Amino acid sequence: MGFRNTFEFAIIAVFVAGIAAVGPIARAQKSAASRKIGALAVKSDTVPVTTSSKEARQDYELGLSHREDLLFTEEGIDFFRKSVKADPHFALGHATLAFFTTDPSEEVRELALAKASASHAAPDEKLLIQWMTGTKNGQLVPAIAAMNDLLAKYPNDKRLANMYGEWLLGAQENYDQAAKVLEKILKNDPDYYPALNNLAYSYALGGRAELAPPLMDQYVAALPGQPNPQDSYAEILRMAGDFPDALDHYRTALRIAPTFFTSQVGIASTYALMGDEERARFEYVKAIDMAKERTDRMDYRILWAMTYFRENRPGLARKAFAEVAAEAHKQNLPIEEAECHRDTALFNPDSESAMNDLDAASAVMADKRHILVGTRETELAKILQTRSFIAVRTDNVDAARKALEGLNSMAQTNRDNVVQDAYHSANGAVMFLQGDYSGAISELEEDPRDPLSLQLLADAESKAGQTADAQKTLKTLAAINDETVEMAVVVPPVRAALKSNGSPSAQETSH
Amino acid sequence: MTTRFRFIVLSLLLVACATVAFATDFAVIVHPSNAAKAMSLADLGKILREKTTNWPNGRVITVVIRDPNSPAMKFVIEKAMGGTAEDGKAVLNEESRKPAASIIFVSSDEDIVKTVEANPTAIGIVDVYNITSGVKVIRIDDKQPFDPGYVLKGH
Repeated sequence: MGFRNTFEFAIIAVFVAGIAAVGPIARAQKSAASRKIGALAVKSDTVPVTTSSKEARQDYELGLSHREDLLFTEEGIDFFRKSVKADPHFALGHATLAFFTTDPSEEVRELALAKASASHAAPDEKLLIQWMTGTKNGQLVPAIAAMNDLLAKYPNDKRLANMYGEWLLGAQENYDQAAKVLEKILKNDPDYYPALNNLAYSYALGGRAELAPPLMDQYVAALPGQPNPQDSYAEILRMAGDFPDALDHYRTALRIAPTFFTSQVGIASTYALMGDEERARFEYVKAIDMAKERTDRMDYRILWAMTYFRENRPGLARKAFAEVAAEAHKQNLPIEEAECHRDTALFNPDSESAMNDLDAASAVMADKRHILVGTRETELAKILQTRSFIAVRTDNVDAARKALEGLNSMAQTNRDNVVQDAYHSANGAVMFLQGDYSGAISELEEDPRDPLSLQLLADAESKAGQTADAQKTLKTLAAINDETVEMAVVVPPVRAALKSNGSPSAQETSH
Repeated sequence: MTTRFRFIVLSLLLVACATVAFATDFAVIVHPSNAAKAMSLADLGKILREKTTNWPNGRVITVVIRDPNSPAMKFVIEKAMGGTAEDGKAVLNEESRKPAASIIFVSSDEDIVKTVEANPTAIGIVDVYNITSGVKVIRIDDKQPFDPGYVLKGH
């Protein structure tokens, strides 16, 4: 098909352009960060770093400055890789790489190496390793205790506190606690820019959105030559539906740093949300080329494929997703491969065929021993939740019950937010199908951020006669502007129906 | 923000603004030297109601908690003591308890942790994100914070 040739041509063209742009910035950053190392090495108010290799230490510090301070995520992870290559017994290096990598195979391998090398680390360093590895393998109680011990011992280690705040915000979704940790950093250093960024998001996501813009302004002013402040500002504007200003900020970020791929994908997704799918595809191709991590590249290919569904071209969409799934399989990326099948199912108007798509997604996850159990279960939970959502479309209570059984069993042993939320959502779906609308509302309210659950919640509220609540839920849904498949499936029909004063239901949500 | 982060969380700003409900787990903590490793929710309720006043070794239990009027404690009181938060508050505030110092109200979780770290007979209840290794988290109804079905998971 023509689109594939165009896709390949664009990849090559943008790749050549990207290479030309990447060098000077990376070198400039490395030089600046290298100078910083000299100053940091003599500080005694940060957690010790034990390595026999000067090169490993330097790369570790560069990793932190890129990944944590400036949010050059890929470059940061690359520096962590270099650091453990320079010193294979560098326990904190292995733990940090395991903590930040997006590659599930690397995560498993580095966790094991961190554990095996831990005896080489200093006592306080071991606490940091315990926190990093504990957050990955479900040992959260000792992990949190270790981090709080460190924060008490190193009250001036801003980067440590910011890392904890970022984890509370992103992984734990504990916005109040994240804000507390980050506010403390800024009390001592009001210009510490990584905390400004994270605190803005903590406020925005924690229901204090009015406090976020001044922090973003401060963040932008603090780092005029850096792309991430512009990128973050753009994202917040886009979420609020201000697409033109979001594009301006994303473009400013790319003018500052032409290789800052998250802004490139931000531009692409903004066009996708605006309904300009052809332009979105063009921009996604650029993002795919710019990203270095194979997981990022595959994630963006999924978003690229989704544009065909967004513009209601199901044939092309299924073909595109099949190709991406095949490539993910080839690259041994089971999460991305399963996501391709799950996304296809969500857009599939034929519920029986959609269940087959979900069977394919489950099959991918069935025997993958090289990824962590938690990672596999998170994806399985999403697949089962999707199954229950699709079951509602056809009043298939048996299929919904079966999905719930799988989630119930998983939720008994896995406290991951995604697993727990998916369980409540599926339980709500079963109750909905059984006519227990009050019970369904109660369960679906436990998953207040997923468009699939919000759609079912609106349906249940409507069936229960709570018309005002249903309208409020639909308006909440209609206000979502993000690049997730759930949003792409659920929100457009809701917006259309609200525009015509109707109330769409899950049964009608298929393309 | 990071790419993964973008996909998982950031996209939901407006939804979060409309429905704010963060859940946390409350940890029941004791001094590390305390032999207690677990107790039932009912036993915790008895301690809070002053029906149980001594540890098995005979030493008097000191309860360290936040102001019963704080939103977090309202949940804990209802869950552990049964009945309404108002009933629970009345029991916790009984004048007769104060002279014996069997209950101490402090203004923050950090203060609870510090008090329990320093007091071998104390028992405290805090947001699990505030624990240190200077205290021991005990299991309630055979579960610890973050376990599925943990009873002191609040909103």
